[in-house]
Amino acid sequence: MTKRRKDSCRSLAAFAGRFATVLLLGFAVTFALGPIVWAILTSLKGPKEIALYPPTFLPQTLTFENYRSAVFYNETFLRYVFNTALIVVAATVICLVFSAHAAHAVARYKFRGSALLMFAMFSTIMIPGVAVVIPLYLLSVKTGIYDTILVLILVYSAWLTPTLIWLLRGFVNTIPIELEEAGRIDGYSRLAVFYRITLPLMWSGLLAGAVLIFANIWNEFLLGYSLVQSETARVVQVGIYANLTEVGVQWGRLTAAAVTATVPVLIIYTFLQKAFVQGLSGGAVKG
Amino acid sequence: MRHPNGVFVMALSGLGGPEDLIALDRPKGHRIFAFPYLMFAPAFVLIASVSFIPLGYAIVQSFFRSPTLQLGRFVGLSNYGDFFLVRQGIETVQNSLIFVAGTVLIAVPFGFALAMIVNTPIPFRGLFRTILILPWLISNLVGALLWAWIGNPQYGLLPYLLQQIGITMPNIITNPAAAMVSVIVASVWASTPLVMVFVLAALQSVPSDLIEAARIDGASPWRRFRKITLPLVRNTTMMAVVLTSLHAFKSVEIILVMTGGGPNGATETMATKVFHEAFTLLRIGVGSAGAVMIFLLNLVFTLAFVRVLRTEHGA
Repeated sequence: MTKRRKDSCRSLAAFAGRFATVLLLGFAVTFALGPIVWAILTSLKGPKEIALYPPTFLPQTLTFENYRSAVFYNETFLRYVFNTALIVVAATVICLVFSAHAAHAVARYKFRGSALLMFAMFSTIMIPGVAVVIPLYLLSVKTGIYDTILVLILVYSAWLTPTLIWLLRGFVNTIPIELEEAGRIDGYSRLAVFYRITLPLMWSGLLAGAVLIFANIWNEFLLGYSLVQSETARVVQVGIYANLTEVGVQWGRLTAAAVTATVPVLIIYTFLQKAFVQGLSGGAVKG
Repeated sequence: MRHPNGVFVMALSGLGGPEDLIALDRPKGHRIFAFPYLMFAPAFVLIASVSFIPLGYAIVQSFFRSPTLQLGRFVGLSNYGDFFLVRQGIETVQNSLIFVAGTVLIAVPFGFALAMIVNTPIPFRGLFRTILILPWLISNLVGALLWAWIGNPQYGLLPYLLQQIGITMPNIITNPAAAMVSVIVASVWASTPLVMVFVLAALQSVPSDLIEAARIDGASPWRRFRKITLPLVRNTTMMAVVLTSLHAFKSVEIILVMTGGGPNGATETMATKVFHEAFTLLRIGVGSAGAVMIFLLNLVFTLAFVRVLRTEHGA
């Protein structure tokens, strides 16, 4: 008798738990997708329909005009996409190369000042972006790289390197040190041990890092807006922002640009999702 | 005697373990000890030139009255006084706290719960994981623009939908509390995914046989969660708390785009005030003073947090 009551009690609790789970998941999906679905729907409407109130949900007359005029036949926007892609690739390479070396050093060697060095690195994560816009502007004018792609490549790589060192250091820690010791005994130099043994084992950490770098740089606005003026070096988020004109926001064009700009990040993320989550756990849990 | 320095360092720091074997196995004078520095050097040079130098410049600037981009007159600490005491300075501190606490207190439990859900074998799990990460893949700029538009009292979707079911949504442009809620909602929307991914990554590293063993031993789900899962994902969750707070504290895009700090300063945080002082009012010294304070507060917060984590570990 008591057992049956206990069982029914337990199944009731399980049911309540499942109900709460479904409810929460439903809410989370609506919350996460709501603005995105609205943006996609808007990007497929004409300007007159967008201005309607009460708003229409599905486009009454489906049009790809926004994508045509704001994205695919808009040479300046395509130029911005190309610029951003170039910046992302260059910054990813710089950032991964530099931080993999540094991460190996702090994970495997105890050296004087390493704790201080790590602390100084991480403190840069806490610098507010608005604080360094003006100094970076002055510095880049002085060195002659203001208003070029190069300044953004350097700034973004420097911003993401500390996070990457932290992530990859945790990752190196998960690799058994015996492998490296065996390499040393076989006569490899320290550097050769890193290149031939450690680095090949770090690939999922490097992929996770690449996703993090890509998403961060692709979506950065403040510095791209302040350190670059000419169209030839402008980045994609600034291109999206350009749809806020003096006569009002051009929502159709803006959402078309924003939706298109999200696609590359989404593709990269979908392909590297597994490595991303694994790579994060290497860095976050053991680090 | 060929590498006295290294032995000294190791003796001082009382190290043990396999790292030292690598450092010791082939004594070649000082080269051994130069190696890790050389490995770190490129990263250091890059960060020094792009982060340390501008930060140093901002610190210097915070002591000068600079109406143009040139350094003006030395004014001591008066920029700091200006930042906090003039034009609702103290309120921006309060607003920052509300904004950061609101974001963290909602985004972290929410992201944690979602990670728990998508870690169990539910149908379409991969799809759910991708959908829930989507806001992270969208820039803060676009996210803020979309939320501002959806919530717009005159032509927004959300007020319209709520009106259909008989609810009048408070005006997020004129009502101070509603404005603050709206920027927190956008911030939670943007921050939850990364919390979820962090916790998910940690959950996946929890050995399933450990949970299984506890289940066979008759531990209730709640007990299994508290005694096994929670301790193993605690550090990662704390890390997510720190990263989310740091980010919310220094971010400006969401608030500048959605409310511009208004109405009447109700959503002006320290970070947006830095922006307004430096770029709208061109009081660069005052803006720099605020920025230095944000940096210092972040630093203190993180150090305190690390210390709390350490002492709890020791206990």
